[in-house]
Amino acid sequence: MLKLFTHLITQKRATIAQICPPLPETARGLPAITTQPCSGSECNACAQLCPTDAIAINDEKNESGSAKVALDLGACIGCGLCFQNCPTGTIAETLSTRNATKRREDLILTNDKALNGDKALNSDKASKNDNAAPKESQSTVPTAPTPNPFDRSLYVRVVSTGCSACDLELGASGNPIFDIERFGVHIVASPRYADALLVTGPVGKSMQPALLSCYKAMAEPRVVVAVGTCAISGGVHRGGYAQANGVDSILPVDVYIPGCPPDPWQIIYGALLGMGREGLCQPEKEIVRMHNQTPGLTK
Amino acid sequence: MKLTHRSLAIDTLSGELKLWLSAAAGRRFGLLSSLDGNQLIILLLDPGPGMAELWESPVHNNSYKSLTLRFPQLHWFERILWDLFGIVPRQHPRLKPIVVHEQYPPDFFPLRGRQFLPGDERVERAPVNYMEVHGTGVWELPVGPIHAGIIEPGHFRFSCFGETILNLELYLGYVHRGVEKRMTEVPWQKARFVAESAGTDTAAAHALAHAIAIESLFEVEIPAAAQALRTVALEIERVAMHIADIAGIMTDIGLVGMAAAMAKLRGTALNTGQLITGSRFLRSYVLPGGVASIPTAAQAAQVKVSMDELRKQLKPLLSMLQNNYAALARMEGIGTVKRSLAMEFGLVGIAARGSGVNYDTRSHFAHGLYPQEAPLIATEAGGDILARTQVRIEELWSSLDIIKKLISTGADAAVAHISLPEQLPANAQTAGIVESFRGELIHLCVTGEDGRIKRYVIKDASFNNWTAIPIAVRNNLIADFPLCNKSLSLSYSGNDL
Repeated sequence: MLKLFTHLITQKRATIAQICPPLPETARGLPAITTQPCSGSECNACAQLCPTDAIAINDEKNESGSAKVALDLGACIGCGLCFQNCPTGTIAETLSTRNATKRREDLILTNDKALNGDKALNSDKASKNDNAAPKESQSTVPTAPTPNPFDRSLYVRVVSTGCSACDLELGASGNPIFDIERFGVHIVASPRYADALLVTGPVGKSMQPALLSCYKAMAEPRVVVAVGTCAISGGVHRGGYAQANGVDSILPVDVYIPGCPPDPWQIIYGALLGMGREGLCQPEKEIVRMHNQTPGLTK
Repeated sequence: MKLTHRSLAIDTLSGELKLWLSAAAGRRFGLLSSLDGNQLIILLLDPGPGMAELWESPVHNNSYKSLTLRFPQLHWFERILWDLFGIVPRQHPRLKPIVVHEQYPPDFFPLRGRQFLPGDERVERAPVNYMEVHGTGVWELPVGPIHAGIIEPGHFRFSCFGETILNLELYLGYVHRGVEKRMTEVPWQKARFVAESAGTDTAAAHALAHAIAIESLFEVEIPAAAQALRTVALEIERVAMHIADIAGIMTDIGLVGMAAAMAKLRGTALNTGQLITGSRFLRSYVLPGGVASIPTAAQAAQVKVSMDELRKQLKPLLSMLQNNYAALARMEGIGTVKRSLAMEFGLVGIAARGSGVNYDTRSHFAHGLYPQEAPLIATEAGGDILARTQVRIEELWSSLDIIKKLISTGADAAVAHISLPEQLPANAQTAGIVESFRGELIHLCVTGEDGRIKRYVIKDASFNNWTAIPIAVRNNLIADFPLCNKSLSLSYSGNDL
């Protein structure tokens, strides 16, 4: 026991102080759409390579003369093929860990203003959320009452329905390096005293009754968080006979965290978003890497 | 690897299997399945020369006499054969669903290629029945499918007398996603992403088994640097997951300080993976033809530093575990799986080696730079939680050595991967056999007339090893179940697919 104690107190602090910092330089980030013009469907490299058909290219030009590109981050498994093979730099790589959204449609990145507001990278996230308010009331997704009742503490019930990578990253977000508990997030063993339901995996047919009964056992107000691409859209499993098409095919979802699996910081950002505490993250300069040009370019 | 193909009649199958298996030491079943419901296919492994054969036998009237009666290790395979194809193994002692639940229509068999005909023997799907134990004071404890912690779903039904477990019944399949079917639906160039998602905690091993299966169709030579890096990726995954599994055991014993320190070290292993592959889970790295990228010499040097650091940090922690009386009391003589049962049920990986079975596919079948670079097989005779933990610890040390040795041979090479032809060869059968951190992982690929993947079978190590958990917990306390479970480190998604 003494040995263990000595070992532990001689360890340096492992916890990362900065909240939701960018991914390390060595990591492969998620795709982002830049203002660089796309040459259109004659190239189509990204759309053809994408393993989940998450990218659509429309030759109709947008106001700055680029073909319209729409990329569904909710279907993206982060393989990196699109930005690695984009000759024009329209699709680049972002190292941001702040990718979670409250609305499914906000995960669709595009340079087409008409389709989905201006989500190309030069727009800032705060103003986007303000614009979203009127739309949100029409959506069927219930929102937590304001002020957010969970802003200091969020008891979380995790239901896994997938391949365990997201579960491991959820587990890692509780380790000394990321320490999600410092934000008041606790993993609990019953839905009866949980505020949030975190679901990983695509929710195949066999798991649907269990997930529903877990949700019904929770007291209101409650939030549902879809962790990872499978939970958002079914990912590579979408459209199969097991009906593994994501959480929102059977439950209303309040927060979507893309990634396959999401990095622990991306999970923590999603939890903070559910608590209305995303303001804890210091403003950051988003690091975007364009693979057709010099890597490491900061925008 | 390419597979020798042999066709034989179903009534001679059982006898021929017996003959073949007993003809040389170590011969074993790889898997049993079907292509489309009209036949049985059996993959047979001969670890001695590192060869494998694929036997095919037509099934008449949709049924055959169960092989489980003679070869107990096939019990799980025959159940899933019925689950997916509707083929009925007559006299199977415990025919009930594994992955296709009662939420599906009773006559729905997802991989079955033909309609039922009059005269076909049929067993329709029904809600699962659990074996019950009767007697005064015997009670049942249902657990799951949703578990208390952050873990995949599955249902356990314990029959207990007081605190002692008399019997454990498993009901899995909650994470059935239709992976094998999806493998045949997507273009083969995209199938690797589906293969990885069969169990992303085993992404490198799945990707490697898949890559070998595809490459064997073309019979191509993979660049040596890529082979070295594949081996490195496989071992990084092993290091990260062995650390996670040992940390899990520490947590369940109540040594949370140690477990937290281990969690930090797992971070070091994951970051090493990220350094080379861009992904903490080594995703999208191993691919048919080679690997996605080559690390620089500087990165390789960094990997070596991390491995030394890991060794230095792990040593005191693991020795504390091995010398902690409380820990030993929880591990010694608990969750014992006898060697005879491990052999009979064909256990693989840590579950087998912890019971004294000398089987590690790294020493037998070609994958990465194995078998040339294979470490000595770590085995322990005890069969208990302690034995499995010792094997894990031994393997951690050898994996750290392998990574250090091979990372430099792979660094700074010119070619990461070669390109493969667009079209797969028609009517070919290949397999990839890999030692994942859980044990023997098999991907079997069969192409059709049109050069598309006709049938793709994935056999995770857990598919063999789930049988071990009811054996391990019998006559142990309920409180020891989590430890038994962690020590076997079973995958739900790898089993359910």
